[in-house]
Amino acid sequence: MGITAKRDSAADSQTIAICGNPNSGKTTIFNAITGLNQKVGNYSGVTVEKVSGHFNSPSGSHKYTLVDIPGTYSLAAFSPDEYIAASALYGGLEDEKIPDAIICVMDATNLERSLYLFLQAIQVGKPMVMALNMVDLAERKEMKIDYVRLSEELCGIPVVPIVGNQGKGLDELKRRVDEIAARPVIADCHHYDDEVEQLISYLQAAGGLDRRTRAEYMRIVFDVQGPAEQKFFRQVNDDSVREMLDNGRTRLKEKFGSLSAAETKSLTDRAAAICRDVTTQSPQRSKSNSERMDKLLLHRVMGPLILVMVMVLVFQSIFSWSEPFMNFIDESFHNLAAIVGASMADGPLRSLITDGVIGGVGSVLIFIPQIVILFVFISFLEDSGYMARAAFLVDRMFRWCGLSGKAFIPLLSSFACAVPGIMATRTIEDRKLRFITILVAPLMSCSARLPVYIIMITAFIPHQKVMGLLNLQGLILTLLYAMGIVVAVLVSFVLKKTLFRTEAGTFLMEMPSYKVPTLRATMVRVTIRVKAFVVRAGTVILAITIIIWALSYFPRSSFADYNYDRGVLQLEQGAEARRLQLNGRLLTLMAMNGSELSGLYDSLVVVLNAGENEPQLRQLSSQFTFETPARADLLRNVIEMRSIEFRRQAALVQLANKRAGESLANSYFGRVGRLIEPVFEPLGWDWKISMAVLASFPAREVMIATLGTIYNLGGEVDESSSSLIAKMRQARRDSGSRVGEKVFNPAVALSIVVFFALCCQCGATLVTIKNETSRWIYPIATFTYMTVLAYGMAAAVYNISVWSGLG
Amino acid sequence: MTPLNKMAPGQKGKVVGFTDDSAVSRRLMEMGLVPGRSVLYLRNAPLRDPMEIQVGNSCLSLRRAEASLVTVEVDEQ
Repeated sequence: MGITAKRDSAADSQTIAICGNPNSGKTTIFNAITGLNQKVGNYSGVTVEKVSGHFNSPSGSHKYTLVDIPGTYSLAAFSPDEYIAASALYGGLEDEKIPDAIICVMDATNLERSLYLFLQAIQVGKPMVMALNMVDLAERKEMKIDYVRLSEELCGIPVVPIVGNQGKGLDELKRRVDEIAARPVIADCHHYDDEVEQLISYLQAAGGLDRRTRAEYMRIVFDVQGPAEQKFFRQVNDDSVREMLDNGRTRLKEKFGSLSAAETKSLTDRAAAICRDVTTQSPQRSKSNSERMDKLLLHRVMGPLILVMVMVLVFQSIFSWSEPFMNFIDESFHNLAAIVGASMADGPLRSLITDGVIGGVGSVLIFIPQIVILFVFISFLEDSGYMARAAFLVDRMFRWCGLSGKAFIPLLSSFACAVPGIMATRTIEDRKLRFITILVAPLMSCSARLPVYIIMITAFIPHQKVMGLLNLQGLILTLLYAMGIVVAVLVSFVLKKTLFRTEAGTFLMEMPSYKVPTLRATMVRVTIRVKAFVVRAGTVILAITIIIWALSYFPRSSFADYNYDRGVLQLEQGAEARRLQLNGRLLTLMAMNGSELSGLYDSLVVVLNAGENEPQLRQLSSQFTFETPARADLLRNVIEMRSIEFRRQAALVQLANKRAGESLANSYFGRVGRLIEPVFEPLGWDWKISMAVLASFPAREVMIATLGTIYNLGGEVDESSSSLIAKMRQARRDSGSRVGEKVFNPAVALSIVVFFALCCQCGATLVTIKNETSRWIYPIATFTYMTVLAYGMAAAVYNISVWSGLG
Repeated sequence: MTPLNKMAPGQKGKVVGFTDDSAVSRRLMEMGLVPGRSVLYLRNAPLRDPMEIQVGNSCLSLRRAEASLVTVEVDEQ
């Protein structure tokens, strides 16, 4: 029952489409074959873009283009996501070529569901290979599949057993693709009811010689007023054809109860029959394992409780596990800056490299440990199958505030990054619900906000326990995340009641069985995210950092330099005079008391010079008590001699800091900063914070880099305190009505983090919103409402904190 | 014959038909809820909605409003 066709002699590479249900492991196989890494998830609809890659045939003679079709259950278009998937596969898109062959990825543990899509894909009329994935899981469930029999039932279509996440069977898959591409055998082995077949023949005749596949004709028949039907009648404008189709549909409805049943019953019955023939299954042990876990995880009381506990665990561990790693990276960058600084001459270049590049980018890169922990958790939750349960638990609650439980996954992904989160909203069929979700997704605290949260909380929120159990810093962090959620709920509630009035779409979703995520899959996903973070730090953030550095380094202030030089001269002269005076006194003392005192002098100098600062010196000298006035006098003089040096060094540092501060204030950055300072006065910010926040509107990680750069350049503090946190703790205001007060306190820190939590400081997110909604009004609206909200809330939090004594 | 959403958790039944020919009904059929199949009502979410059912080998979650489109014949216990 096969038709053999000649191989297309075209020189260009053949296109192979890879399709499959959501969660079938399609993307893992796609990545493994093409070597192109992409997200692998366990929730319906993680793959929402058209992604393609290349691979060579095992013999190396042919190059194939592999197109990843978004996961779908059926070719009947139900959501925009599925319409793209379906039409890309059956050739309904005008500007897309019909694939030359199709790989259909099947979940061996759910063969029947997978066969439904497979039987539809056969109708495209192209050679096919069945990639039967997760055969190891099926075996563990003691389910035996007869592969030979399966292939026979499907008129000889090759069946390749695969374990995608271990890479097993992929070479065989590639060989089979090569084989069918060379000798295409087109399986023609699913026939519908005669009524359907007659209708299709009639439409094909009316359509004439066109490129429509049988699968597209199916859609014309079964999807009433669907895109396929509309497209057909734009070309074939014939009322008699329309009438024929309507009559045929009416007959089908009478026969099957509904038009849909005419297609679905035929396909599901066939799938069930094949399944019965090729599988032997012992009682479902693994299913009952999943079922047992669901008894607990979806329990009326325990379920939500565990969900909350999982969330708290995630955010607490981000804080507690990452600290040693962060300290290590921080020290490494500080040492690097010191080594580089020591080997270069003073001047703009040294400043650019140590203060700008190392200080700026380094202060962003130390957040790698947090990013790793966050993504380990997110990929674990997605790959294990827990995400779908979470959506189930929260759906009713989400509906109260105008969203669907399906928004849970896009919103949770947005905690990592709003860009994939916004893309994942394509699984929400209802357009209005989808737009609401897109508009609130950037309110979820993404991983780029984390560095700002961490640094502000670590520096200005005391490290203490609350209620004897929770870490206060972790609690504040959890509250920040919670605030994003609460605001998102309120915003979506308002949107649903005003601009986007709609009924609550649907919530039809398959609950995947629980799986133990493989270490490999988790590692791949974490590496992709960390790489993206590092690349961002190395490009956008580096560029902005250099601009910020230049703006805050130039123009050099000759006034500040003059003040500095004069100060140093005065200081050195004063110290020298004092030293001479003391020397005179010592000589006189020793001349009057002879050799006995000069021996004592030598040993005192040896002992006391070991002290490296004022307090150490005091401590060392306290061990000596002398009775005679001459000896006591000698001790006082030796101590004084040493502390002159300390005072000189401290004064030099102070002068250098003063010069740095004056230069920064005089720079372009400082001038603009002073200008805009009043705008952010209600939030408690000084001009440096205000400028750092403004600079971070294109990408929020810039905040930390900018603070790193300006506090290095600004030289606010003595050199012994190296870390940015220490510098911020000591920073004092240098302008406005509160000169000399500390810049940062808990109230200011809270106002900064609240602003960051609510503001949409991310160019990439805004561009993604534009792409997904195809209108500029949505990103503009998102940006505007979030900025206004951020400003208002930050001002409120600042004033409440000051009022309650945190200022 | 009752709508699916009127069954009690733990009950089993057989799909008889659908009350309409909407896209939602169609998707339910594609997910395996075709006439003649047996369904097991597993549980409700904490706020009674959505609900989880088992059809064939797979577990589905759906809202009560969607379940009301499915007519079932409840098995005698």
